[in-house]
Amino acid sequence: MPVWLDDFLWTYQNVVYALGVNGLLALSMYVVLSVGQLSLGQAAFMGLGAYSSALLTVKLHLPFAIVLPASTIAPLLFALAIGTPTLRLSGVYLAIATIGLGEVLRALYINIDFVGGALGISGIPERAGLVSIYGLLILALLGFWLVGRSAIGRAMEAMREDDVAAATMGVNVARYRLGALLTSAVLAGLAGALSAHISSFIGPNEYGFEPAVTILSYALLGGIGSPFAPVIGAWILTLLPEMLRGFADLRLVFNGVIIVLAVLYLPNGILPWAMRRRAA
Amino acid sequence: MNRTHFLAGAAAIIAAALPGLAAAQVQIGAIEILTGPAAAYGIAIKAGLDLALDEINARGVLGGQKIVLTVEDSAGNKDQAINAARKLVGRDKVVLVIGPTLSNEMFAVGPVTNERKIPTVGTSTTAAGITEMGPYIWRTSLPESDVVPVTFKRAQARGVKTIALMYASDDAFSKSGFDVMKASAEKLGITIVTIETFGSKDNDFSAQLTKIKGLKPDAIGISALVEPVSGVVLQARALGIPKETLLLGGNGSNSPKLGEIAGAAADGMLVGSPWFIAKPDAINTAFVTAFKAKYNKDPDQFAAQAYDTMKIVAQTIDRAGAADSEKINAALGKTDFNGVMGPFKFTAGRDPASSDGVVVLEMRGGKFGIAP
Repeated sequence: MPVWLDDFLWTYQNVVYALGVNGLLALSMYVVLSVGQLSLGQAAFMGLGAYSSALLTVKLHLPFAIVLPASTIAPLLFALAIGTPTLRLSGVYLAIATIGLGEVLRALYINIDFVGGALGISGIPERAGLVSIYGLLILALLGFWLVGRSAIGRAMEAMREDDVAAATMGVNVARYRLGALLTSAVLAGLAGALSAHISSFIGPNEYGFEPAVTILSYALLGGIGSPFAPVIGAWILTLLPEMLRGFADLRLVFNGVIIVLAVLYLPNGILPWAMRRRAA
Repeated sequence: MNRTHFLAGAAAIIAAALPGLAAAQVQIGAIEILTGPAAAYGIAIKAGLDLALDEINARGVLGGQKIVLTVEDSAGNKDQAINAARKLVGRDKVVLVIGPTLSNEMFAVGPVTNERKIPTVGTSTTAAGITEMGPYIWRTSLPESDVVPVTFKRAQARGVKTIALMYASDDAFSKSGFDVMKASAEKLGITIVTIETFGSKDNDFSAQLTKIKGLKPDAIGISALVEPVSGVVLQARALGIPKETLLLGGNGSNSPKLGEIAGAAADGMLVGSPWFIAKPDAINTAFVTAFKAKYNKDPDQFAAQAYDTMKIVAQTIDRAGAADSEKINAALGKTDFNGVMGPFKFTAGRDPASSDGVVVLEMRGGKFGIAP
């Protein structure tokens, strides 16, 4: 490999990795939004994945091939535990309950010395790479594409438009909602494990309210017509601050203006088109 | 017309963003928080670096070469800090990186620059374990483990035998400061009567303080950022903890804000600081005068540390004899510098070697002065 190409890849390695990880996070938001639920627990699930995987790597020295799948266990259990009672909530109430989950977990991380307390966990080896990150992203996209084209996709879309009507038509609304939340937890947990293994440090304040809103904004900017839309939204929001580095002090202003313009003029997201489905 | 203006503006911005192409320059990078809630620290550091750079580039290094400093914003975000480090090293080809601002950012950036063997010098990272990340990670900021013992020794000299410790348990900076306070007290043989915690956004500390009042310690050590510390101090005096109970602060209390918020309640509080604006030596007074002339405001500790660091780096490049990361890294170990913070050398572990420059400050009438 020529030196300039090697340098180029090294320079942008973290950006390229972040695009993949944030794409997974956008999908974990997409799956709950696509059944008409507003959950802000994705950052909390991501934190669970990041912390559990980092502990497995740093304390038990397990190989990444085991750590990565294991990182989905804790988010899954939490999603099951909170899913059953909170999925009876909807709209803004579910959002508030899931924000609460993030705050509870933050307090836990801070007060448990075993997970580093306020100091977090540092010295996590770099184990994630292009293959694990983009492999998972492509698998997730493919999965959503296939599910979206099937009868399940139709049921999800019906729920999103009107859950009462969908239930009357025989859609098991509660089961789909729980399924969506569990899928969301798994994806966010994997994203958390990957991100912990590319940046060598995690802290308790990285999975609170602010990242939860950032993840929501991926889906809002991209749209939720198809699984590709939120991923594009995540990519734009991840790349913008890096591409605007040249503007120095005005960077955040430009970043904000671009997002406001996009939301004003593209209310259904940048890719508003729904996917085609075969006639039933 | 508007379009032309826009294009002209865009062209100017792009031209300004391109690094100078002239030969014989030494490229150095810095990663600091220039935007967001913690921007005050990064902006102070950048001011200190720029001031030192003006003075250095008047003469140049390596026989007249200019140092070009590229400062990247991290916004206090660890991912942006990593991106900035990779950009500086991979694209701008800097030979040395100054920063990042926060210890948390350093824990993320350190492994990246260390992998590329680029010496990285923290000017404001005080947490434990920073320089253990690798042989290319240095810092000029005294870790709290060097500052706090000086304060505690002074307190012991004033007759303190028992102490109560309080800290904000939800903040990395406060927690590591507390660890140091606990170790210092144990080492000096001061009895710790109780350890109380609170959250950095708490407003009510009366439960903890009432308990401490009952235990009648000679002193109370507080490790937190300045806002909660001020709250603790105000409530301690309001609850009737007597003036004879000495208050001891960590690095977080080392801010003029303490006097602004707590006023006379903070009188008598002792705080250790690696630097103080009114230090009377000639190097420091020259620095303070030059800083005021350039920026029309008083420098703070972060600007002072950054100013010294830039000077140390320039001196090191001269000693290394070439703008070469490997040579600079080797030369950093032989640093022997006298700056605004006092005499400076590195230990074998790449930390500052001596805490002789530490000044113990005492609050009087809402303002810091050198403790008698």
